[in-house]
Amino acid sequence: MEIQEKKLNGTSIIRVDGRLDSKTSPEFEEKISETIKNGTRNMILDFESLSYVSSAGLRIILKTAKELKRMEGKLVLCALQDYVREVFEISGFDSFLPIVPTVDDAMEKL
Amino acid sequence: MPKNMISFKLSNHLSELDTLREKLEQFGTRLGIPEKTIFEVNLIIDELFSNIVSCGFRDNGIHWVTINISHQEDALHIRVEDDGVPFNPKATQKPDLECPMEERRIGGLGIHLVTELSDKISYYREGDRNILVLEKKIAEDSIQIEK
Repeated sequence: MEIQEKKLNGTSIIRVDGRLDSKTSPEFEEKISETIKNGTRNMILDFESLSYVSSAGLRIILKTAKELKRMEGKLVLCALQDYVREVFEISGFDSFLPIVPTVDDAMEKL
Repeated sequence: MPKNMISFKLSNHLSELDTLREKLEQFGTRLGIPEKTIFEVNLIIDELFSNIVSCGFRDNGIHWVTINISHQEDALHIRVEDDGVPFNPKATQKPDLECPMEERRIGGLGIHLVTELSDKISYYREGDRNILVLEKKIAEDSIQIEK
């Protein structure tokens, strides 16, 4: 798994390549915590290159969404591959998380 | 071993998730199983295995989780066996998926995914071993995921 972060108009865009499972999720959690600690309130997770997600990844996404909301920020997900999207749907995460096709669409949701 | 079967052991370490993926991808390619089915079977076994590794053992020793998969007609038959503490995934409570985000709990989500993605699940305890037998129907290529 590789994680890249960039900032655009105060929003952190975090791009995750590879697989988010119970082995790789601690690194993902650490990166997100660091980003929030550095002052990020609005975050976009760009999952265009995310090929796999398990409940270990979902746990961190739920935790992040709650944390940002408490700080009056927002989390938006974009560019999910079909199978990954299905995991979010089965878990009911699409009912509380905005999931949009592109980074540009995500910027509009913030 | 017949061509339509695969059997392997994973040690109780999360790094073995890479072995799991490799074995399943090889098996899928060999038998021409759709990518979607391999993805879902990977997720099912990942959730069960991660659970066993995290909660199954009371000591720090090495334990083995045995995975057997066979391809029969339109389904994959999966058997997961471990010597951890008794755990029946069928007896777990379904998470509340309707409640607002603030009240959402992550507990039970892994097993919820296993249940939703499997077509049949049976559990039994044999001596000091948990045995889980699952059936997963193979996705038809014509079925597209709704957007």
